Amino acid sequence: MTGARRWRLGWWLPILAVALYVTVPVISSIAYAFFPGGELSFEVLSRLTQDPDLGPAITRTLLITALTIVTLIAVLVPAVVAVHLWAPRLRSVLEVLCTLPLVVPPIAVAAGTVALLRWGAQQGRGSLPSRISQFLQHPELPLILVGTYVVLCLPFTFRSVDAGLRTIALKELVEGSASLGSSTVGTIWRVVIPCIRGPVLFSVFFATAVCFGEFAIAATLNRETVPVWLFTVSSTDFRASIALAVLLNLTTWALLLIASFAASRYEVLHRRTPDDPALSASTPAPVSAQEGSTPR
Amino acid sequence: MTIAPSSPPDLQDPAATGGATSSRASVRAALRSPAMITSAPLLLVITLFFLVPIVGMAIVAFTVEGPDGTDGFGLDHFTGLSSRSRAIVNSLLVSFVGSTIAAVVGALAAFCIAQLRHRWLDSVVAVFSSVLANDGGAPLAFAFIVTLGNTGFVFEALGLGAIGFSLYSWQGLVVMYQYFLIPTMIMVTLPTFVGLRREWSEANTALGGGRLTYWLRVGLPIARPALLSGWVLLFGAAFATYASAAVLIGSGAFPLIPLTIASELRSGASSAGEGAAMALGLTMVFVAIIVLLVFNRLQRRAARWIR
Repeated sequence: MTGARRWRLGWWLPILAVALYVTVPVISSIAYAFFPGGELSFEVLSRLTQDPDLGPAITRTLLITALTIVTLIAVLVPAVVAVHLWAPRLRSVLEVLCTLPLVVPPIAVAAGTVALLRWGAQQGRGSLPSRISQFLQHPELPLILVGTYVVLCLPFTFRSVDAGLRTIALKELVEGSASLGSSTVGTIWRVVIPCIRGPVLFSVFFATAVCFGEFAIAATLNRETVPVWLFTVSSTDFRASIALAVLLNLTTWALLLIASFAASRYEVLHRRTPDDPALSASTPAPVSAQEGSTPR
Repeated sequence: MTIAPSSPPDLQDPAATGGATSSRASVRAALRSPAMITSAPLLLVITLFFLVPIVGMAIVAFTVEGPDGTDGFGLDHFTGLSSRSRAIVNSLLVSFVGSTIAAVVGALAAFCIAQLRHRWLDSVVAVFSSVLANDGGAPLAFAFIVTLGNTGFVFEALGLGAIGFSLYSWQGLVVMYQYFLIPTMIMVTLPTFVGLRREWSEANTALGGGRLTYWLRVGLPIARPALLSGWVLLFGAAFATYASAAVLIGSGAFPLIPLTIASELRSGASSAGEGAAMALGLTMVFVAIIVLLVFNRLQRRAARWIR
């Protein structure tokens, strides 16, 4: 690497340029929101807390987030463990299904959902589809958002849990545990789940970040979550909306940071050591995760 | 694919690797297996909240009211899209320009990061690129309004108004999209650049090749699938972006496909508007699936050399 030393500064330049580009908007928004007229002031925050609609929006968002996390973990983890253990063929089906939401734009999902809910509502007052439609888009707790947010989380969380299970000798663990007299459920609870703590934690934080930030579907369905409220308030109190945007952005970043630390803390997923064949073979990079599994 | 002997085929069920002859039987067995029962809730959620809406959207998009008032199959909503060609052209233009710039800048940055092989930098980049790649929501647009809007800090400091820059146009969208596109590109291409083995460069030197020959004959050909797949992915991401564009542009001034869908949906239950929205939505799904297929194919080729 002696020849490259000369180039060092040159290598840093593009990286620093990107870093600058990333930080300037954050600094500008903080300055705009909390330094009006050049002096530090949190007056805008007290304006925010006085808004009668923000509280319910926050409660609603938190409730949706909690339900999304619970549903996501409850449906995803057992499914991925089961297909790894018993049905590798189903695994690739699940993989495709779970990856699709990554490429289908949220606004298209929103459009489809609207079409479906409207169809339900048109089936006549009091009919079952109409009642289901109303129940799902209840303004206080729109359960339709919980369902769609679970789907939006699937691409990344499936990959994380899937990769986590691939790094452990799942079958051997379960067989070994069974030969020692443990039940399958007991083994999964006491052995397998602790092994994928990292991916599960990642899923929790990732889902939180998604729920806090999602705008397209909530706005289309006209349900007031925090991001939607943010957009509404920007027309009347721009500084307050900037302040909330900063807080929301930093919260999301923090959540995603914790998510990626959680994912890398319990496993060697993010260690890039291409020289170690054993390690690099068993820890596929997150993006190309689907290739390692298809040697057939 | 160069997979070391200790790779995970031991996780594969022997029945599944037994060959294609037993494929139908094993599928049928899988449907009755405990695996299927355990995955049923997940499949149900995907079906109800993802597949059914998409199918419903397709049904609305292809349904036209005939002259006698009955509904039938037809392409009217799609042929009617020509009146919204501005949104389609705008979306394609912004996605193409945005993804191309981000692909070049992101690949350059990833290349430099890989050259430095700096432990601390590597972990910071790994974390931040994945965090920023998921950005693109409403708050991002607000950050850019304050930075590059008509009274934004950077806008005024650099006098961007004098050169005719406006955040509320395609230029602004392209600049804003870079915020999540560049990190995505870094995330996708960095493993490839890091995976370029030093042995290859040494072999090139031993055989008398210079730096230029190395990159032209070895480095770039190996990196090309990853670069292309990154670019395709960026195009898809830019094409699908809604939240930040909606906050920045609103509806009207500079129509994009997602913005048009939203405004048609909001304009009430008039069936013409809804049909057009669903047709546009289906077009987006179609583009997205093409992007996924091309991306997967290129990724597979890119993965051949890394590992």
